[in-house]
Amino acid sequence: MNAPATFESFLLLDGEKKISITKDTKVPNAAIFTVNKEDHTLGNLLMHQLLRDPQVLFAGYKVPHPLEHKFVLRVQTTPDYSPQEALSNAITDLISESTALETRFKEAVRERREGD
Amino acid sequence: MEEGLVSLGEYSISNVHSRDCPGTYPGRNDAWDLDRFKQLFRVEVVSLEDDALVFDMIGIDASIANAFRRILLAEVPTMAVEKVFVHNNTSLIQDEVLAHRLGLIPIKADPRLFEFPPQRTEEGDKWPSSTPEHMLEFVLKVRCTHAPAPGGAGRRGTAAEPYVNSKVVSGDMEWIPIGDQAKTLSDVGPVKNDILIAKLRPGQEIHVRMVCVKGVGKDHAKFSPVATASYRLLPDITLLEPVVGERADRLAKCFSTGVIKVVGNGDSRRAEVGDTRKDSCSREVLRHEDLKNCVQLSRVRNHFICEHPSNVGWVSNA
Repeated sequence: MNAPATFESFLLLDGEKKISITKDTKVPNAAIFTVNKEDHTLGNLLMHQLLRDPQVLFAGYKVPHPLEHKFVLRVQTTPDYSPQEALSNAITDLISESTALETRFKEAVRERREGD
Repeated sequence: MEEGLVSLGEYSISNVHSRDCPGTYPGRNDAWDLDRFKQLFRVEVVSLEDDALVFDMIGIDASIANAFRRILLAEVPTMAVEKVFVHNNTSLIQDEVLAHRLGLIPIKADPRLFEFPPQRTEEGDKWPSSTPEHMLEFVLKVRCTHAPAPGGAGRRGTAAEPYVNSKVVSGDMEWIPIGDQAKTLSDVGPVKNDILIAKLRPGQEIHVRMVCVKGVGKDHAKFSPVATASYRLLPDITLLEPVVGERADRLAKCFSTGVIKVVGNGDSRRAEVGDTRKDSCSREVLRHEDLKNCVQLSRVRNHFICEHPSNVGWVSNA
């Protein structure tokens, strides 16, 4: 009866932005990204990729409440690097990783089909 | 303890998380590198059938494998019945229950040829009238009657088959092409023709028109293309000491068949590790006092065995 529409978990409402940044003032070179209408699928992926960057000092994500469809990603980097740059590089790396996965997978399926 | 193995102990599981982020080990450069990833990463398709796919991903991190699994379950679009217009339903199945069942029938149609329906609003759906790029239409019209008796005499059929059309199955759904769909699409219909929708008796009829749209699993589970998407890590067994004779037989019995092979005959027969892939990791060996110290059970952290039984008939269009 009170259940919100299921499409609200992935469709942006009017005026909602997909991603927004706030600077974390407590420590230098830290930012908090709020991504709307996404969940652990993307949050965990971005966090782990950020952790593999040697210039990232801190990377963590959380879903503040399971009934609100967004996640919050906090990134802190070394002084010569900005969190925005770090996230942007992480996304680029993930895209190339998934492209490599796609090509290898398609090759493997094609080999399998030809072998039959 | 080897770095790439998750060890399964008697009371706990240790060494679970991967420690390949830069900074864990001083002096080692663990920064992510696309070329190094491409060198180590492999995909092997183990079995590929129309309704199930089993493949291995080796050299990948858990976060990506899990994201892959979550996306397959929730974000890969398919077509499914969304609106059911009931013209006549005199069966015992209520309209809404019938509509629910029709929605769950997997439809064989390539969702890439369709677009998502226009955004719904809270007030009500504004459905455009039959647009070929958004929807597929089906009609289900079944009427149950008494079977004619053999020989033509009388009105009732035989005891074995007294009724005609008493079972409404998914094969009874008829595709009605809209616009020029008949030219652009072929082989459209439910994936399996023998899914039971309803049971009827003489005099009862179901006449409904269904509209299928493209959707994702996040919206409703009927749109999920996989029956389930799961992965497990490859089990790994190391024998810490030679196990011979009758102990070897008992060790082989602790695991699933084929995991531990007993080689040789007589008192010097030895246990050897066979195909660890078949192991279900029940850790039964840890229940035997004399056997538990001669094996090391673990899992390979970056070797994912992914099993995806699908319910849309096409597993992968490469």
